[in-house]
Amino acid sequence: MTGERRGARAKGDRGDASGVSEHDHAPYSHHARHPLALTPRYDVVVIGGGHNGLVNAAYLARAGRRVLVLERRERVGGAAVTEEVFPGFKFSVFSYVVSLLRPEIIRELELPRHGLHILPLESTVTPLPNGDYLAAWGDHDRTRREIYRHSPRDADAYDEFGQLMHHMAMAVRPILAMMPPDPTSLSPAELLSMARLGKHFRDLPQRHFHALFKLMTMSAADYLGEWFECEPLKATKSASGIIGTFLGPRSPGTAYVLLHHYFGEIDGAFRAWGFAKGGTGAISEAIASAARGFGAEIRTGASVERVLVKGGRAAGVVLAGGEEIGARVVVSGLDPRRTFLELLDPRELPDDLVEAVRRFKFRGSSGKVNLALSELPQFTCMPGHGEHLRGAFSISPSIDYLERAYDDAKYGEFSRQPYMDIVIPSMIDPGMAPPGQHVMSIFVQYAPYALNGGWTDARREAFGDAVIDTLAQFAPNIERAILHRQVITPRDIEQITGLSEGNIFQGELALHQLFFLRPAPSWSSYRTPVRQYYQCGAGTHPGGGVMGASGRLAALRILRDRSA
Amino acid sequence: MATSYDAVVIGAGINGLAAAAMLARGGERVLVVERGDAPGGSAATHELAPGFRVDGCACDVGWIDPQLDRALELGRHGLRVLRSEATVFTPLPDGDSLTLWRDVRRTSEELARHSEGDARRWGAFSERMAHIAGFLRSLYVEPAPTPSAGSVAELLALAKVGRRLRGLGRREMTELLRVLPMSVQELLDDWFESDALKGTVGASGITSLLQGPRSGGTAFLMLHHHVGNEPGVFRARTAVQGGAVGLASALLSAARERGVEIRCCSDATRITVEDGRATGVLLDGGTEVRSRRVVSSADPRRTMLELADPQHLQPDFVRAVRNIKYRGVSALVHLALGELPRFTARRANGDGEALRGVISISPSLEYLERAYDDAKYGGISRRPYLEATIPSLLDPSLAPPGRHVMSVRLQYAPYRLRDGAWDDAGRESLGDLVMQTLAEYAPNLRDIVLHRDVLTPADIERRYALTEGQPDHGQLTLDQILFMRPVPGHARYRTPIDGLYLCGSGSHPGGRVAGGAGRLAAKAILQEPR
Repeated sequence: MTGERRGARAKGDRGDASGVSEHDHAPYSHHARHPLALTPRYDVVVIGGGHNGLVNAAYLARAGRRVLVLERRERVGGAAVTEEVFPGFKFSVFSYVVSLLRPEIIRELELPRHGLHILPLESTVTPLPNGDYLAAWGDHDRTRREIYRHSPRDADAYDEFGQLMHHMAMAVRPILAMMPPDPTSLSPAELLSMARLGKHFRDLPQRHFHALFKLMTMSAADYLGEWFECEPLKATKSASGIIGTFLGPRSPGTAYVLLHHYFGEIDGAFRAWGFAKGGTGAISEAIASAARGFGAEIRTGASVERVLVKGGRAAGVVLAGGEEIGARVVVSGLDPRRTFLELLDPRELPDDLVEAVRRFKFRGSSGKVNLALSELPQFTCMPGHGEHLRGAFSISPSIDYLERAYDDAKYGEFSRQPYMDIVIPSMIDPGMAPPGQHVMSIFVQYAPYALNGGWTDARREAFGDAVIDTLAQFAPNIERAILHRQVITPRDIEQITGLSEGNIFQGELALHQLFFLRPAPSWSSYRTPVRQYYQCGAGTHPGGGVMGASGRLAALRILRDRSA
Repeated sequence: MATSYDAVVIGAGINGLAAAAMLARGGERVLVVERGDAPGGSAATHELAPGFRVDGCACDVGWIDPQLDRALELGRHGLRVLRSEATVFTPLPDGDSLTLWRDVRRTSEELARHSEGDARRWGAFSERMAHIAGFLRSLYVEPAPTPSAGSVAELLALAKVGRRLRGLGRREMTELLRVLPMSVQELLDDWFESDALKGTVGASGITSLLQGPRSGGTAFLMLHHHVGNEPGVFRARTAVQGGAVGLASALLSAARERGVEIRCCSDATRITVEDGRATGVLLDGGTEVRSRRVVSSADPRRTMLELADPQHLQPDFVRAVRNIKYRGVSALVHLALGELPRFTARRANGDGEALRGVISISPSLEYLERAYDDAKYGGISRRPYLEATIPSLLDPSLAPPGRHVMSVRLQYAPYRLRDGAWDDAGRESLGDLVMQTLAEYAPNLRDIVLHRDVLTPADIERRYALTEGQPDHGQLTLDQILFMRPVPGHARYRTPIDGLYLCGSGSHPGGRVAGGAGRLAAKAILQEPR
């Protein structure tokens, strides 16, 4: 590819391609500036073929850079993979629903053309111990009638609440797509960016500003308590506030994550949740295909041992086998702990950064149980094989239930009665299981990474049993239906995907680990103290969920820095 | 009837008196109406038994607003603050103990016994926290900045805060922004390993809060309680000669000197409003007091929804006031003692030097968290966090010679119990729980109690007119401070009712800043065109 063609390509793009096209000819200016004797084979080596690494690679390749992605496992995707765990039964082993994937990425990388197909996930049913249920349907009026059945007052509040949250999400959305400014920096660019941010928030209606401040500082339980009285409603909504954190719904700091549910957009439709046809792995495959389409190389089974640093500047990577690969730019899609403390020699880094990364909170708190089923579950509260089985089931009958689940974990045990988010992908995508049979995905919280006495095979199975026993209280036929079960603890997540302490967001989404504090003060810019070494994982702003924003923003940063 | 006062102040507590004195100092004609038979409100000091005097529910008058002190020359009016070298003494189940001292070096020496590393880090920790608290302090002596307001003046005030924030320097600034939303446990785990130390310092992060040390925002509360103290001084209580009422008396004398009238035993039952403007108060006797302004030091819910008629308010405002989180979690036990309790823990100092500060039953953060677990579901902590003081050690005048008074605050005793309301049986079992818990560390306590008085959260609410028995007039959480206090958009002491103002702890800077809200409310009123 020649520079001209690349230029045409980039300029031909819609959306936020400006950051790409303007530096399109950067590579030429390079060779002159570069101290390395022999020219490396690649402009960029991306460590880790998770969705953020792939997005990062795709954007850089799209801008004409020679990019190589190195993935330790035999398949790309990281925690966004589909695997045939049991013959004929395919599972989105870890991440299992999609909502946060940035629309500009779907657009700019033309993911649908690369096979991305999202199937909507319409309903959420919360079974209750008394045999009743609370349901949220795709149809708004139907949901409202359902809530009315539990509390007329809440039904009235429901619309107003929804509108306010929508406004909040709109107010915060631009931040997801921006590089966090550093409020402590005195550089004019940063100050300007801060000022713009300040104006953005001051321009909000006062009512919205205050609501947003409350969201940032309150507990999910209290925030929802100001609107609703119906326990299952509060609990089911607040559940989204505790996912991936080591906090209970009554702890301040959990309300903010509620908002994440309202960021979710598929084809611009707010709050839609869904599956990728073929499982979450299909998202990674689509991004990988897009990246290859732009000329990126992807090597699997290539485990990076460390980053080569020469004279304070990244020069390439060393693989486990000892093979060295030179590159002008090295980008890590791994979490901050691995990016800084394992791939580098901490002595290369300033002390306060090392300190900040060491105290960065991971504390994985969730696990996963994947089931191969011979028959569909029969929920006592909603018998039959109706449309409800095409949606999610949330085991979150009350705030107290969630708090008690948290209490177990606080003191180092897995929840005896855990919070669960259950889906049956084969109901929507029959390709996931053999005809007439099904796969069930159960997200479980809390399962502490630091289990008392540590995780063993026995404890893993005990954890799996607790999950099945709890589910059986609501769907008694489940035990009979199970053909195979896969139980995944935070320890397993860490060992399989490399996510430190099994935290699914590459670090808790707590207020003190967001925006310009993610992953560390003054290093939220995707840069690192080692020149030409960048971060692009969910451990950077805006963080977790299969969003891809970190990978994209890191790519824009690299191109703006004219590093590659 | 002609208006006879410029301002009538409801409540002769610390903030009410501060507001009254500052208004009078600004030339206003002020009347203070107090429901009790003496000034002081929750800081009043009463006779527990003949010769034994104890403070109301404020065993610690808090940080006395320095500008108030200066403006009213409280020293000249008899204010005497008593200092103890020991700030807090924590007896431990293993028979050891931990005492923190005002002197950073002395504390480090003490810590060395528990952890060499913690002893080494104490100095740096003290400096870092003092920096952050220093920034909070600068926010607490001025009206709360209001980020969402558009006026130039507000923007300038905001810019000033921004500059001050930057003034901290890059490291301290990010540390401030990082630390405030954290849990006190996360913060202390970053620094220390000793459970005794973390429990003792961390306890100030949950004081009067229905949250545990693992809850977000508790690091802020710890720093809030640190404001106004020298580096390394945590959990220190401000004791006053003659008891907490000593501060009220000084304020009263300063107020009287400037012509303030005060009527005790006059309970304001209603704030009278005529065509949208407050015109005065009705006293329980039926007497009406007319005034151009009504300034209430009662908490926001009581003022806006009980004393004023909500019909004068917009539904949104009423909802906001109802949403203020009070959630009292403390019970009080006052004891008249025949002699000094003997703590069996090593280093407990027979001469009682270590006992002059706060005596804290908080052996570890987990102990505190488990105490919260009970309260989270509406129960009383089976192993409660206790904060005891023996005021007579610093001020012998509070008890007959050789005898002592002890006040104990128990947390958690939630205002809202899961099963049933507070009753006499509940009250007595609280008293027993305190005795039993303390006796584990000071066995002789059982035999030296001459008299005991127990206040449940419901009693505190009734006796001191504190909604839900919450001493700060609303929990001090990040969503209820600065421009969010008492309710978003009304942080400047004015209320939607013309001529009605709030000057209590329910407003910025909130509880524990003695007289801060009163002074700032008076300032806001005096700045208005007459």
